[in-house]
Amino acid sequence: MTRRFPELVSLGGVLNIGMAMAIIVSFVFYSSDAPAHESGPVKAIKVDAKKAALGKRLFFDKRISGDSSISCASCHIPEKGFSDGMALSKAYPGSEGFRNTPTLINTAHKAAWFHDGRLGTNLNDVTREQLTEDYVMNMDMRIMQERAKQDPVYVQMFKDAGYGEPSNGSIRKAIPEYLKTLTSRGAPFDKGTMSDAAKRGAKVFHEKRCGSCHAGTRFSDDKPHNTAVPNNPDIWSDPMRHHTYVAFGLFMGIENIYNIRRDVGAHVRTHKVNGTDVGKFMTPTLRELKYTAPYMHNGTMKTLAEVVAFYNKGGGSDVNKSRAMRPLGMSGEQQADLVAYLEALSGDPLTGAEHVWKDAIPANYTAISDWLKTPN
Amino acid sequence: MTTFKTKTITIGLALGVAVVTLTGPVQADVNAPLAALGPPPIPLDNKQTPEKIELGKLLFFDTRLSGDASVACSTCHEPKQGWGFSGDISRGYPGTIHWRNSQTVVNSAYYGKLFWAGSAKSLEGQAPSAARGGVAGNLERDIGTARLAFIPEYRKRFKDVFGDEWPKIKNAWRAIAAFERTMVQTDTPFDKYMKGDKSALSEEAVRGKGIFEGKANCIECHNGALFSDQQYYNLGVPRAETWLDNGLAQITFRFEQYAKGVTQKMYRSIKDDAGFYYRTKQVDDKGKFRTPSLRYTLYTAPYMHNGTFFDLQEVVEFYNEGGGTNEFSANKTDLIKPLNLSEDEITDLVAFLESLSGDEIKMSSPKLPPYAPLPNPVK
Repeated sequence: MTRRFPELVSLGGVLNIGMAMAIIVSFVFYSSDAPAHESGPVKAIKVDAKKAALGKRLFFDKRISGDSSISCASCHIPEKGFSDGMALSKAYPGSEGFRNTPTLINTAHKAAWFHDGRLGTNLNDVTREQLTEDYVMNMDMRIMQERAKQDPVYVQMFKDAGYGEPSNGSIRKAIPEYLKTLTSRGAPFDKGTMSDAAKRGAKVFHEKRCGSCHAGTRFSDDKPHNTAVPNNPDIWSDPMRHHTYVAFGLFMGIENIYNIRRDVGAHVRTHKVNGTDVGKFMTPTLRELKYTAPYMHNGTMKTLAEVVAFYNKGGGSDVNKSRAMRPLGMSGEQQADLVAYLEALSGDPLTGAEHVWKDAIPANYTAISDWLKTPN
Repeated sequence: MTTFKTKTITIGLALGVAVVTLTGPVQADVNAPLAALGPPPIPLDNKQTPEKIELGKLLFFDTRLSGDASVACSTCHEPKQGWGFSGDISRGYPGTIHWRNSQTVVNSAYYGKLFWAGSAKSLEGQAPSAARGGVAGNLERDIGTARLAFIPEYRKRFKDVFGDEWPKIKNAWRAIAAFERTMVQTDTPFDKYMKGDKSALSEEAVRGKGIFEGKANCIECHNGALFSDQQYYNLGVPRAETWLDNGLAQITFRFEQYAKGVTQKMYRSIKDDAGFYYRTKQVDDKGKFRTPSLRYTLYTAPYMHNGTFFDLQEVVEFYNEGGGTNEFSANKTDLIKPLNLSEDEITDLVAFLESLSGDEIKMSSPKLPPYAPLPNPVK
């Protein structure tokens, strides 16, 4: 990462100030009883159909990883709500992941990305980060660009999309354009078809003020909080995962990285000297949970019942745990109702041709015939 | 700015003088005489120790020093392939193909600069360039550093050799360089002959030596104990044919232009490897490559920067015809011209070339130490 985009580091420094201010604002928000965000269906985003179609093909194309072995869709699987069904994600070959793959549905609405919220700019940057990160796609984007130029289908699609010839810059525009099409739809919550249990669960949700963090149409305040989710020991017992975390930490500048046995979370963005930001993770959306088990940033909880029970006891144990976390005193029935409500926030699967590239994508490249006479 | 410009001009003039000396009128006595090869130079800041060399050997064979942990230095510098690669163009990182021939590691310790266009200043600089290049190792520093930390045997060895609390990737390249400095061959038939054993060369080889130094004037560039003047020339070696019909090769070809920073106009039109030009950005340097050593070539086929010739006979015949033509023929060196060698003379010359290699240097891949979880943290 460092080699390819050193400018990101200094940019991160500037962003930290903004982030710190956002956290101050969030404390003000907790003290308020009124929901500060609108609710209702997530609004669909208007996209350029040709650019989005191009982004869709790129998203499902393994050739945009360094060794052409994985695509975005290898970990963001449509049938699993664009997550992968595993506690900890796979990674680029030669490494294994240390966090749970988040859903990409509604991702274009987010204010900050990744479980630690370390990018608060836009999906173009997020795409770039994931393409070039050594444990994700490990792609030298200059090679990626030349690969795209070698595929006549891409040459035509880039042209049709108004991008001219394929370039790494337009790849990083087209993929976000596709991601904008991934909007939740058809949830019982949105259609007004919730079960009685789910309706009771909605009441519990409001009474217990889940919405103070899980706010707005996506049920997320886009801010980091420490709920003291237990550590996932599988990261630290497996050198394949732990080394990936160390590589990440070396790049992010996490102090004492070899002696740490926990995921510091949002600390990589805010770098507070007193460490009070250690263990904060971004509030995840509550939409599409039906498809995205297991849960939490490290996949330690297999079912929604487990997650609700975790909150009911006031979360886990950590010195920096958010003061908003406290025992909720829900009965078994209330917890079951709450789960029913959470399930009613999941919509139709986005697995049709509108969201999935269904045609075969070649694994190889044909040669440009008459290469000597064809300008590069 | 004024000062800067003045300095540039001064340097330019200095270079001009050097060029005149190198390409001036041919005088046999200007060339370094052929000689037996002595021990390689050892940099003062990376001295040889048995422990460092042993560590370097392990790392040289370790695939975990590549992006997807599938290729090691030894993958493209295979002991069984003359410490190079069997194909004309090196295989490259998975999903890619390289664009040049993989050079032998043997005797690389003697070069002042590494790679075909001399882009690395030392073996310590060559190793990371290859390990990190997108069509070679595609390794990022962070992941390489992290992986080393999870191999207890390496933690111990880096501590012993370099004093590292946690292995530093930079020291991996230093250890590999130290190992490579042991991959030398100084006991070829030619070396024995030069040290007084006149029976070490066949009659053909002795005649070939005379042709090498005389009629064929190979010694003009392939001189000194290394058989290389380490300068850059365009011989008119034809372009790699693989670019005409291999999609992956075409991708890499364009990537290299882009990565090495040519103008937009040149990127669009170039159809061959401009070699030394990428370093100097001087038009006159297009198509030039560094004179390779002729030692160990018995085992390093195919030959030339793009592996276009598959045996030494072919190479000699290429020179006999006065070289070839390529996109940058305007820069073709005046030193190369038809040699009018007879078939017997060609045979003798090849016999001499073969005497520049001793026994094959064999080595099997060592058993590599495994990953293990880190010990409990220090509080």
